[in-house]
Amino acid sequence: MESSDEKTVEKCRVHLRPGTLHDAALATLHLLPCEVLVSGPAPVERFFTPAMRQGPDGLEVSFRGRGLRGEEVVVPPGLVGYVMAMEEKGEMLVGKDFSEDSWNDEREEQELAEPPEALERDFDQFIGATASFSRFTLWGLETIPGPDAKVRGALTWPSLAAAIHAQVPED
Amino acid sequence: MDCGDRARARQHVFLLPEYLKDASKKMKSGLLFVKLVNPCSGEGTIYLFNMCLQQLFEIKVFKEKHHSWFINQSVQSGGLLHFATPMDPLFLLLHYLRKADKEGTFQPLDQVVVDDMFPNCILLLKLPDLEKLLRHVTEEKEIDKKKYYKYSKEKTIKWLEKKVRQTVSALKTNNINVSARVQAATFFFGDPVSSDKEEDYIRYAHGLISDYIPKELSDDLSKYLKLPEPSASLPNPPSKKVKLSDEPVEAKEDYTKFNRKDLKTEKKNSKMTAAQKALAKVDKSGMKSIDSFFGTKNKKVGKI
Repeated sequence: MESSDEKTVEKCRVHLRPGTLHDAALATLHLLPCEVLVSGPAPVERFFTPAMRQGPDGLEVSFRGRGLRGEEVVVPPGLVGYVMAMEEKGEMLVGKDFSEDSWNDEREEQELAEPPEALERDFDQFIGATASFSRFTLWGLETIPGPDAKVRGALTWPSLAAAIHAQVPED
Repeated sequence: MDCGDRARARQHVFLLPEYLKDASKKMKSGLLFVKLVNPCSGEGTIYLFNMCLQQLFEIKVFKEKHHSWFINQSVQSGGLLHFATPMDPLFLLLHYLRKADKEGTFQPLDQVVVDDMFPNCILLLKLPDLEKLLRHVTEEKEIDKKKYYKYSKEKTIKWLEKKVRQTVSALKTNNINVSARVQAATFFFGDPVSSDKEEDYIRYAHGLISDYIPKELSDDLSKYLKLPEPSASLPNPPSKKVKLSDEPVEAKEDYTKFNRKDLKTEKKNSKMTAAQKALAKVDKSGMKSIDSFFGTKNKKVGKI
């Protein structure tokens, strides 16, 4: 039983709904230097945002009584930031119907762009962008994360990846 | 524990290439995450396909201890940042070509790229210009207008060498990587010249490429590039390792196991020394998180 479940996962495709990529509203993101163990709603606008101010060395705020320093980090050129969430089972069916309705007008155009065979299967899952961003605020404890912070290094990855994966010339 | 699913719904922070946004206007579907074999580790890893533009993307995860996101009016623990970057599909095809080579004959591609574990590998066959790509790593024959391929190690090593050279020049022009290194050297040793030795670049690039090929091929490439053996250059402090090990007793008894463990940690360490902060996020620990991302207890799906 269990092995057949695993099998389903391997076969599973998680479809990213393309429509959500251009509809996504802008979101405000902060990357905190601490682990909040539980995910869920939080009154960020009530406690965090009003406490933010521009100090001599960048932005200042406090969280749980600790002083944080931060600065805006821009998403590297050529990239867009997205927040994505998996669709729940029930929601997925609704979403599917809905998206089909809303696309009706352009049906002909789509069919041309559509890949030749159906890619969706019954056991597949769906994910959609719920928000987008082009910058986020990076916070450090007491000081702004320096130039050798891991996050900053990670943001240079796409340019390096491009070189590794570019086609090489034939002899 | 009694939080509703809603509140716990996990949010994933992604960076995607901008052109996916524009392309998405014209598609209704065709962007899909699938699990495929990782050509380096052989384990399952998530990749993103764009079936409309016929591109393959790899997903890397930035993951560091003690981070969380505030996303609008919510908190998301973990502080993960996912990157989708274009990937050369040849690395994945190579995995199958090498496997098929054990049979030693020319085979059509649809018999080479088969996988019980990761059946989605057939999507690879839909990528454009495969024939052109395969020329870099295979010998081919054409019979009755059907192409048959056979893995060629010689060609592959040459192809990989080109990849290394290409990466070296990108490392040199990529200000951030190189300057971070020069800076550190200038600050701490006052000798920036020693930091941009050609060999260092080649070793670094070799390390990057090695994340996409099996160990065996990586070793062959290392020899071809005349890089010194990494294990020989590192002194081996056994006392320290024993202390680091969780079960020193077991390690003492089983030397093969101990050695293997040793080599593994050493290899990682030597990679890190290559001013590899930029790559720290490329480490495999990120892979686990993405597995959990998609492996979300896929309780049997009702109707099939």
